[in-house]
Amino acid sequence: MTESDLERLLGSADPDPGCDHSGELMDAYCELMARGEPLSDRFAEFLTHIANCTACREDTESLLAVLREQARSGTG
Amino acid sequence: MNTVAPDRESAEWLRDLQGNGGAREHAIARLHALLLRVARGEASRRRATLPDRAIEDVDDLCVQAASDALMAVLAKLATYRGAARFTTWAYKFAIFETSTRLRRHAWRQRKVELDDTIWDRLPDAAPPVLQRLENDQLIVALHRAIDDHLTERQRLVFQSVTMDDVPIDVLAERLGTSRGAIYKTLHDARGKLRRALVEAGHGARVS
Repeated sequence: MTESDLERLLGSADPDPGCDHSGELMDAYCELMARGEPLSDRFAEFLTHIANCTACREDTESLLAVLREQARSGTG
Repeated sequence: MNTVAPDRESAEWLRDLQGNGGAREHAIARLHALLLRVARGEASRRRATLPDRAIEDVDDLCVQAASDALMAVLAKLATYRGAARFTTWAYKFAIFETSTRLRRHAWRQRKVELDDTIWDRLPDAAPPVLQRLENDQLIVALHRAIDDHLTERQRLVFQSVTMDDVPIDVLAERLGTSRGAIYKTLHDARGKLRRALVEAGHGARVS
């Protein structure tokens, strides 16, 4: 069993606040990422959650894609 | 979460949406147009994940998603804290409504059920994540931990999400609950399995 298989099955053991709490940080996280700014420690649990939860990870990637597209097109 | 003074554009959105009359109606129309554009962009990004039969329904789904996102934004205006621009905060609802609908639409004709045979299938018919675990003592311990420690609902959620790649939003719909509630079930199941594997002597692999 590879470590990535195990991670996929069991997720990370680090603190994970779940979908609802992580959703509250998604917009601020994406804006920081889109601007290339460093993340503070308050995003640690959010990062654990999007590593563990495919749906929230995909939604975060989608929101970030929207912001980057807007930045490219000058509509953001 | 702390409240932050919103930027000028975000403050204008709030003022208009919380106001009355023509300015509010105009702001709602502008916001709906933005949310619909985000919904269609999300559908475009996800197009490759959709079966052919689902493609023709996508724009209707986007219109529904944008409308529901608008309702959610208006209902939750008082919870906006200014941590991001107002439009970014609002887009989050459009992404959620659209991605959830598209995941469910893609799985509309597929069953979600507990399948104990996945542990016994030939390697090429088992889920990929299990194929790579062949002849590993850990897989035996994991199977035992699932049987001994998980409730039937936890087994269904754990197996569906981690082995059968069922989207969590599809499970939420089939089980009549929310994404967050399904995720909590998964999280609790994973915790039980991790503890059981540690007790079975596999702590070095799972800690």
